[in-house]
Amino acid sequence: MRLLQVDFSVLLRDQFQFILALLILVVGGVAGHVIGRLNRRLLTAAGVPEAVERTPFERTAQSLGTDTVSLVSRLSSWFIYGVVVLIALNVAELLNARLFWNGVLTFIPDLFIAILVFIVGFVVADKAELVVGERLRSVKLPEVGVIPRLVKYTIVYLAALVALGQLGVAVLALLILLGAYAFAIILFGAVALRDLLRSSAAGVYLLLNQPYGIGDEVRVGEDRGIVQEVDVFVTRIENDGEEYIIPNSRVFEQGVVRIRN
Amino acid sequence: MADVSELLGDVTEDADAVFLFSPSGSYYDRYADLDTDLDLVVVGPENSVGADTFVELPLEFDNVRERIRFGIEGAMEQGLVEDGDVVVCAVSMFEDSIDTVTRARASDSMHSGVYDLFANSRADPGVIRDVFDVAIELGQKGQKGKPVGALFVVGDAGKVMNKSRPLSYNPFEKSHVHVGDPIVNVMLKEFSRLDGAFVISDAGKIVSAYRYLEPSAEGVDIPKGLGARHMAAGAITRETNATAIVLSESDGLVRAFKGGELVLELDPEEY
Repeated sequence: MRLLQVDFSVLLRDQFQFILALLILVVGGVAGHVIGRLNRRLLTAAGVPEAVERTPFERTAQSLGTDTVSLVSRLSSWFIYGVVVLIALNVAELLNARLFWNGVLTFIPDLFIAILVFIVGFVVADKAELVVGERLRSVKLPEVGVIPRLVKYTIVYLAALVALGQLGVAVLALLILLGAYAFAIILFGAVALRDLLRSSAAGVYLLLNQPYGIGDEVRVGEDRGIVQEVDVFVTRIENDGEEYIIPNSRVFEQGVVRIRN
Repeated sequence: MADVSELLGDVTEDADAVFLFSPSGSYYDRYADLDTDLDLVVVGPENSVGADTFVELPLEFDNVRERIRFGIEGAMEQGLVEDGDVVVCAVSMFEDSIDTVTRARASDSMHSGVYDLFANSRADPGVIRDVFDVAIELGQKGQKGKPVGALFVVGDAGKVMNKSRPLSYNPFEKSHVHVGDPIVNVMLKEFSRLDGAFVISDAGKIVSAYRYLEPSAEGVDIPKGLGARHMAAGAITRETNATAIVLSESDGLVRAFKGGELVLELDPEEY
């Protein structure tokens, strides 16, 4: 930008600076509009409208007479308009407080990215809530409704953290909170899901190698019978009206006896 | 002059229950607000409207008569209606939305064991439905245009495997395919040209193809005129808790056996 000015200030007289600024404004305005349209096309082609359908963010946007795609594309247009106006003002040398405007110029992209991250974070969070909720719909337990909401707010929290970090706000305290949260989840997962994880690790081996299959007669510990079903977590063994459902981790601990006769 | 709705009032008069077949959400809500002492029962492939009393329809019956019969039988099985109850059924006959209202009387003679076949089998109802779908599709199209026969033994796979022997190498050895997976229907169709039975586990895993069933056929009573495939199907279900679904090569009908007896006969052309 300063380069432009150096090159052209020799060639152009004072009046031409205003014409140049006007030209930049027009070209920038057109470019901003075109890029906004292009963005809208790209987002539509990428299937964003279908992806954000039914999310609360989209609903809020629609109640305000717009939608997510036009919001994002308009945001990119505005960003370019803003930059162009600043460049034009600079070229026309209407502004003397160069330092102040330079600060603003570097701050605008950050603000743009922060807003974008926040919008994307919100949409993704809403979508994740819907998807998780649908997955859990077959579980008829009222308390299970907490999980989708937990997923949603975790994503919103992360998006807010990234956005604030982009703006240079001090987020150390929030980061510590995030660390504690992640630690709690890992600890909970390790303690509560330990048996399931162990069984599924064993189950993967059993499914891949099939040391015994459906129809084989086996004995695991005390339980003897015909294998009816092997899945990732359990092996079902049936014997005279008694069906033993054995966690796969126990199959590994105690070993299997295949009975051939 | 009486108007039409008065004349047609006979149809809904002194009914004991109202059956809605696959209603849309708003349609159901209109009925749910109705405060009468009528029992409101939703019948459909899935309970999409969140109704309290719901009868699952495992197959999408095109034939309205069959659909209603199945719905009533399922409701009787669940104790929602009793013998002699008058049931008003709102179903869709021509379009997707409900366009037909009919009056039926629940009776014990309707009981054919069809509902029992789905609801009380060892295997998951969804698995039995998927196998029916494959059998019906196979019956409609055949293998390369020629009619084929097939025998699926569903559920209690461990016992079935011990009462049968392989005719050749098992193409499903060490595989983890389940009925209802998208590509599996094609596989099952291809393998249906092999002789022998398919064995499918309770959870729908295809355990084996090419099985020669060897139960003792003593005391199995199936209609005369059916062939060896049906006899084998009847016999294996008598000796195990499995359900057998047979596509006949000669007459193209799909039949289901349970406990050694024929419980359901379907014509694939009607679906």
